[in-house]
Amino acid sequence: MHGTLNDQSLIYLQIAKMLEDDILRGVYQEEEQVPSTNELARGYNINPATAAKGLNRLVADGILYKKRGIGMFVSRGAGEAVKQKRKAAFYDGYVKPLVKEGASLELTGEELLAMVERAIGEGETT
Amino acid sequence: MMTGVLQARGLCKSYKDKKVLHDLDLTIEPGKIYGLIGRNGAGKTTLLGILTAQNTKDSGEVTYNDQGVWENQQALNDICFSRELQPTMFYGRNNLKIKHYLNSAAIYYPNWDKDYAQRLLEEFKLEPKKKIYQLSKGQLSMVTITIALASRSPITILDEPAAGLDVVMRERFYQLLLEDYAQTNRTFIVSTHIIEEAASVFEQVIILDEGRILENCPTEELIDQFRYISGREDEVDRVCAGLEVLSVHQMGRHKTAAVRGGGVKLEQARQADVDIAPMNLQNVFVALCSHGDAQ
Repeated sequence: MHGTLNDQSLIYLQIAKMLEDDILRGVYQEEEQVPSTNELARGYNINPATAAKGLNRLVADGILYKKRGIGMFVSRGAGEAVKQKRKAAFYDGYVKPLVKEGASLELTGEELLAMVERAIGEGETT
Repeated sequence: MMTGVLQARGLCKSYKDKKVLHDLDLTIEPGKIYGLIGRNGAGKTTLLGILTAQNTKDSGEVTYNDQGVWENQQALNDICFSRELQPTMFYGRNNLKIKHYLNSAAIYYPNWDKDYAQRLLEEFKLEPKKKIYQLSKGQLSMVTITIALASRSPITILDEPAAGLDVVMRERFYQLLLEDYAQTNRTFIVSTHIIEEAASVFEQVIILDEGRILENCPTEELIDQFRYISGREDEVDRVCAGLEVLSVHQMGRHKTAAVRGGGVKLEQARQADVDIAPMNLQNVFVALCSHGDAQ
């Protein structure tokens, strides 16, 4: 019942993540207004309370700020804040599962690092 | 919109010697969309009927703003329960026309919004002169939805509004519901069997099982307590120790357990060699209410 959302994680977290993605992509720039609770609710057919929870999470992280009676705006330095937040989660979300999967395939540490270096190399040439 | 608290305490109801509601307590707070889910025969319609003083109860009480609702016109003015329409009545087919239902709704509900009802009829392509028995199941649902929305009642209850609708209309219905809710912030209680597509619309979910309220809490908070844990049997058993295991599926040494548990235990599970997957509301409902039928 909700556009591009999925049921793999809680909806308010998906709303927060989508807005973060859009801030990183420059869809919403610093000091620009982001969609309101009701706009998000209508756009994704979700309860306004859920949309508000997603927005408030970004306020708590300093990525958005509230202008009373007007709406939510992108904070100065929000892009950097999103990157910092994601870097903190990168180890748990990407590196640990990578090492775990490597271990279950009995890859040695050297082999794993070699693959990572290869991927970095390929990323640089493209 | 001013709305009050609708509350049931110690409700009991039996039909002959079959107990339908068991000493049931429920509080409906103003300004939220509640989803009421339960299996066939769980007592949903009976509960909704008693909450709105359309059914009798054996014992217990129902209050709206601390006033009993039974034969209390002032309280009932604030409450709309739009029941499923029946194409047949005890004397034969239901010859009443759509407009008869709308006209009586206009008399009965003090906040009745005639223009809104008209807009909805046009949107649903309903002919007011059509007789109820001539309508399809989906059109019957559309009439009950029209009455519920246009009643503009502070507490509006819809029993299985999505049942006869096709998927496009169901999506449109939830859109209309959310649009109206955004404007009025009134309280809705919506019962449904089509759970997953409604989950994101419900702020709060009430799970009714065999006449008892199993849960009444914020939807996402509930869903987040549940996980599937799967992997090799002994690893899964080790991780599940101390968690509430609701159901188990086993194929050879591979085991999947549906569990409910707090954040700390789940964090520990993440360290083990098992897969952890989230549930959706439908999964949670099946885990809580299947009583072994889903095997």
